[in-house]
Amino acid sequence: MTTKTIYDFYKLLENDNISFSYRGSFSNNILTMATQLFKENLEEEHSKLKNKLSFLMIESFQNISRYSEKESNIDLDETSEFFLTRNVGDTFYIISANLIDNDKIDMVREKLERVNTLEKTELNALYREVLTNKQISEKGGAGLGFIEMVRKTKGKLPFDFVKVDDKQSMFFMQIELKNPKVDDGLPPIKLSDAKFIQEMVALENILMMHKGDFSKEAVGPMLRMVEENMQNVSLKVHKKIFHFLVEILQNISKHAYPINGKHDGLFQIGFGDNKFHIGTGNFIAKNEVENLRNQLDMVNSKSVDELNELYRKYLREGKSTKSGSAGLGLIDLARETDDMIKYEFTEENDDYSFFSLTVKF
Amino acid sequence: MLDAIILEKTKNSPEIILDIENNSFKIAGRSIVENPGEFYLPIYTWLDEYVKSPLDYTNFIIDLEYFNSSSARQIMEIIMLLEKIDENTDKKVKISWLYEEGDEMSKERGDEIKLVSKLDFEIKEYPSEDF
Repeated sequence: MTTKTIYDFYKLLENDNISFSYRGSFSNNILTMATQLFKENLEEEHSKLKNKLSFLMIESFQNISRYSEKESNIDLDETSEFFLTRNVGDTFYIISANLIDNDKIDMVREKLERVNTLEKTELNALYREVLTNKQISEKGGAGLGFIEMVRKTKGKLPFDFVKVDDKQSMFFMQIELKNPKVDDGLPPIKLSDAKFIQEMVALENILMMHKGDFSKEAVGPMLRMVEENMQNVSLKVHKKIFHFLVEILQNISKHAYPINGKHDGLFQIGFGDNKFHIGTGNFIAKNEVENLRNQLDMVNSKSVDELNELYRKYLREGKSTKSGSAGLGLIDLARETDDMIKYEFTEENDDYSFFSLTVKF
Repeated sequence: MLDAIILEKTKNSPEIILDIENNSFKIAGRSIVENPGEFYLPIYTWLDEYVKSPLDYTNFIIDLEYFNSSSARQIMEIIMLLEKIDENTDKKVKISWLYEEGDEMSKERGDEIKLVSKLDFEIKEYPSEDF
């Protein structure tokens, strides 16, 4: 993960009101918190979709665990289970990806093609038939989940299978929930976009990614998800990650340049070379760039001993907020991160620049 | 006598007990509030009064699993207020910094605050709850 990665992902998701992606092992707690993240961050105009959205996210999650053949493992790779929810304009997209045995592909494809071609009354009939049919096969069987997804969204379910080897393939599926009350005129997002994002997050070894308005109740659910995800990690590492997540996320919520009243930002957490990588990106006002750059250069130029000394000094004296004098948070980050705080400013327009930052622990 | 301040912990703010009658002084839980200055203001006001006529012995317990850097500043502020007891009276005051077994980060944070504090300051581990 580099500062460039952060910028590229932000640009990729620029029009998203909110998006969240997750890669790795799936638990009910992660699911609960992901749905909560969306519930608490929905735009007012979409608030009526709240229940439907939660329902569909749960169905999609369960779909991953129902069809997945992946053995639970903390070492992730390009075939790890993947989940992505995005809200762009008037539409919510829920995408799942997981490994499936090649010999099951035909069965799944047949079910999906069937629900994608049926009319509303036919779907209802099929639903009742499946519901009352006692001879449903063991693994979720006749695709009740698929039928429900189509009934709830009144749309189709785009899907694809990408061959991994002779035995298995990645199964991608997208649910599209459109708000009938709003029409944004934006072009729909294709399944190929989600496939590209999945490829990118796997390549960059990103476990979790969130893009949205950080002044809203996003920090809480994100933190709880990270906590949940860290249960296999030692308490020491866990604490450190949590500590700096709080700092970094609260920083976005405080300092991001508000565009249309939103403190928009992107957050990623990844794992590689036995280290956790945290990256954030957000816009900041042009006239704050120089000051921030000075602060970052200042803490980056100091040794850990010097940083400790500075931290302790500020602890007693309080910091002056004049230019060039970094706050406790930044000093703390600099002395704990492996290597330096990496950062980059990318000029966006006359008013603001994009600020991306990565640290590792 | 000052009325006790008793705040229950929330997901972002710590439990706080300032209770003269029961000789109980404590901050526990997590302090990751976004505006700690605002949150801790009533605590300062209270302590500012208290240090003028403290109990013979004040044992202030700090048992924080997490705190953000702006809260670190506030905790230091509390300790600095308590230093006034040492400076201005003949009463005793002691900080007990508690941390859960294995929580090196909380211990390190305690070591650091002890280093810059002028008070009698103990750092004590307690056994982990989940086993």
